[in-house]
Amino acid sequence: MYRVTFVDADGKARELTANAGQSVMSVAVANGIDQILAECGGSCACGTCHCYVDDSWTGKLPAPDDSEQGMIECLMNPTERSRLTCQLKMSASLDGLVVHLPREQY
Amino acid sequence: MATATPKASVHGAAFEPLSTAFAQNPYPAYAALRDKGEPQFFPDFGMWLVARFDDVAAIARDNSIVRSPEFFMSHEEIEAEKRAQNWHDMPHHSRFVQFSMLDSDGEVHDRLRKQVFREFTPAFVARQRGMIQSFVDKLVDGLIDKGEIDFVEDLAAQVPGHIIGRVLGVPDEDCPQLRVWSENVVKFFDIDRNDERKTTAEKATTEFYHYLQKLMAERRAAPQEDLITRLIAAQDAGHLNEDELVSTCMLILMAGHGSTIDVLGSGMHALLRFPDQMERLRNDPGLIHTAIQEMFRFESPLPFFHRYSTTDCVVGGKAFARGTKFGLLYGAANRDPAAFGDDAGSFDVGRNPNRHLAFGGGAHFCLGNHLARLDMEVIFTTLIKRLKSISLAEAEPQYKPGLSVRGPKALRLALTPA
Repeated sequence: MYRVTFVDADGKARELTANAGQSVMSVAVANGIDQILAECGGSCACGTCHCYVDDSWTGKLPAPDDSEQGMIECLMNPTERSRLTCQLKMSASLDGLVVHLPREQY
Repeated sequence: MATATPKASVHGAAFEPLSTAFAQNPYPAYAALRDKGEPQFFPDFGMWLVARFDDVAAIARDNSIVRSPEFFMSHEEIEAEKRAQNWHDMPHHSRFVQFSMLDSDGEVHDRLRKQVFREFTPAFVARQRGMIQSFVDKLVDGLIDKGEIDFVEDLAAQVPGHIIGRVLGVPDEDCPQLRVWSENVVKFFDIDRNDERKTTAEKATTEFYHYLQKLMAERRAAPQEDLITRLIAAQDAGHLNEDELVSTCMLILMAGHGSTIDVLGSGMHALLRFPDQMERLRNDPGLIHTAIQEMFRFESPLPFFHRYSTTDCVVGGKAFARGTKFGLLYGAANRDPAAFGDDAGSFDVGRNPNRHLAFGGGAHFCLGNHLARLDMEVIFTTLIKRLKSISLAEAEPQYKPGLSVRGPKALRLALTPA
């Protein structure tokens, strides 16, 4: 089991546990983190599971692939810390990950 | 794994999707299908109907369960299937409608979707707000003092097609013709297809194709800031061929017409059927996003899509062989109490979370969802602001028959300006 922390737009944090290989999106959906809409269910097709990875994790995540990068560029308020949570899969190297949630996905 | 064989026929009193009773209220029939637990065989289409939320969501999101039969059927088998379904002998329909991004999977689907997805993403769509608002304002200006209107024809039907037309690059004055072609092509998708509709659909596809050929030639000569110009550049760069380009433009135009019109109509009807919810929205316009989300859940405008399994699989506890055709009933899944609670049958403009399946799921998730929602947001917000009251001016609006679409044929409203 790994840990992942979601921080909402008001700064309220929730630490949750995740299984190996589980997407950060599915951890959020299973635990009622309602800011992650994840409407397509994890196919990189809707752009409604956007998060901002905490500064402390800069450079520590696998880079987004072409389809994730293409979608990120077309989200509301993207930054260099933007990721789609459906594409982030939990593993030992992501244990303790902290992500920040936008107030709205669109 | 054992192959499932057709045992339970749902054709009969419990499930008659072409009946008037079903058109007016399909939800008791959907509830009966959910209560069966496992998928039920629908012999008219040779498919298994899936009604429970969890099962529909799992299939929609499973990349091994696809739209196109080409992954497990030979060319000859597909042609035989087309003849059995009366899809054959339609050269243009076959070339540009039966082949599309929607009916492709894997590499072809992903390549085509990649060419068009930018225009439908949150950031691009948000930039269209001013254009949509001024278009809707002008329409409402012309209707507000009429006293009584048909909301479907006079307002709903005038917006989504024009907006998608502007995104693609179709001149406003051509939009009414495009709507006719779109409707004539789409009508042939429902389960009550016949030879007359077949002829009409092929003719509409042919005329639509000739129109797009002319428009593409114009854009080649004089490029514009629109999607069709960008697709022509993508064709020149080798990302898609001309047939794929035409098919993709037709798909976008057709998808942009029908379903948003239907859910505008059923959404307005829901607000009128549940006046406490209309009042809630009037008192708190910030609820518009959850209200629109609820309109899509409550009366899903495209309640039915098919998929084929490419491997043996288990759905709802029942084993199915590779090549099984499933009918996903989004309209049934979106009223499933197991997913939405005991008030799944209630219309709640503040429902949140509201993870419905009206836009489908997985790789085929509705490309135009953000644009449809923005069209709706602008229309409902504008009407609520500019009208003191909106009331129903007919006893019982009639809904379109069939399994593939859901929406009122017309919706007579009495308007009182603010």
